[in-house]
Amino acid sequence: MSEQIGQLTRKVVRRELHSSRAVPSVVAAVLISFFCLYVMLEAALKATGQEAWLVSPEQAGAWLGDLPGNLQVAPLAVGGLLVFLIGVALFLSAVLPGRRARHTIPNSRTAIVVDAEVLASALARRARVAAGVTPDQVTVTVGRRAVDVQVRPTSGVPVDVEGIRSVVEDELALTSVEPVPTVRVAVAPSGVIGQ
Amino acid sequence: MNQTPRVLNRLLLGLLGVSLMSLGAAAVLLAVPAVGRWWRSAAVGLGQSINGLLDRTTLAGQRDSWLWIVAALLMLLIVALMVAWVAAQGRGRSGTLAQEDKLGESSDEVAGQVTINGSVAEQALKAALQERGDLVNAAVTTYQFAGEPALKIKVFPRSGISPHEVATEVTDLVEALDLLVGRQTPVLISISAGARTRFTRAERVR
Repeated sequence: MSEQIGQLTRKVVRRELHSSRAVPSVVAAVLISFFCLYVMLEAALKATGQEAWLVSPEQAGAWLGDLPGNLQVAPLAVGGLLVFLIGVALFLSAVLPGRRARHTIPNSRTAIVVDAEVLASALARRARVAAGVTPDQVTVTVGRRAVDVQVRPTSGVPVDVEGIRSVVEDELALTSVEPVPTVRVAVAPSGVIGQ
Repeated sequence: MNQTPRVLNRLLLGLLGVSLMSLGAAAVLLAVPAVGRWWRSAAVGLGQSINGLLDRTTLAGQRDSWLWIVAALLMLLIVALMVAWVAAQGRGRSGTLAQEDKLGESSDEVAGQVTINGSVAEQALKAALQERGDLVNAAVTTYQFAGEPALKIKVFPRSGISPHEVATEVTDLVEALDLLVGRQTPVLISISAGARTRFTRAERVR
């Protein structure tokens, strides 16, 4: 029972850390549906012997047949390039891993995922207290492999870079996210006045 | 946690991407004069064979080929498949937290079924989570994941709250729920940032 739960938990974590590609799928499905509905309409009109609505299948076929002749070279090439680029975007969304800005905290009982934004604001609070500055003066960016802490000190009050680094690393160790990111602390050369 | 068909999504997106890429590449190649000349001569033969096919499939006394009806039905089928594809996204919510069937095979057993509704976990955890001042909001939902009931707990902490503290305390609640229900289900705790966490004050005096 417990082994099975461990397996399912690992599977859940893997799914939560990657995008499901639901949005591009829905967009693609809607576009394909509209195209197919239009083709169906024209084919049905043709089958029942009615007038075509916009373009009859024969006209479309004839237009495709003498294609380089009935169109300027530039619009043809640009249109083709555009279609090619849309295809590349869809293909990449299928092939790339699509990691989401989330981290996982290992736990024996549950699957835990944390948005990078939540982790960043927790780290920013610790860094701000250690540096003795206001919330506006600290910016934290959390990536998958690195955490960037940017501090703009109050003018005339030096900040302790190593102290900030150790506090942020301590918070990361407590959170024990996987994989453990490296910490980079940058102090702005110019200070802020009137804090 | 839901049953979005991820492999199917990627497969179909990849297929569509490759076909659009080849279509676009073909259009760009047509702009090359030599390829354009080749296509125009090839298109004449292609058009004739299509016309021949349409003539052969026209029934006596009819004006047009029955292939048009087949084409219309095929398009309808594709549209139906696309609707099914969209409907498959994000499915998997369920209302069951645990279920036990007894067939009553031996003499001292009585056949029966016990179901624990998902709202047991949802109400209990939500009540416990909403007492906390460091969370802006919490949502608990039961899912059917890989054939098993599973629980998703989504919490929105105030900005600046340490995620590991939230994780530990919510895990404690889950373990208490395990004791209450009498069996373990897979649980996902998702610690997220929402619009409300961004606009509420960073911390309160505790």
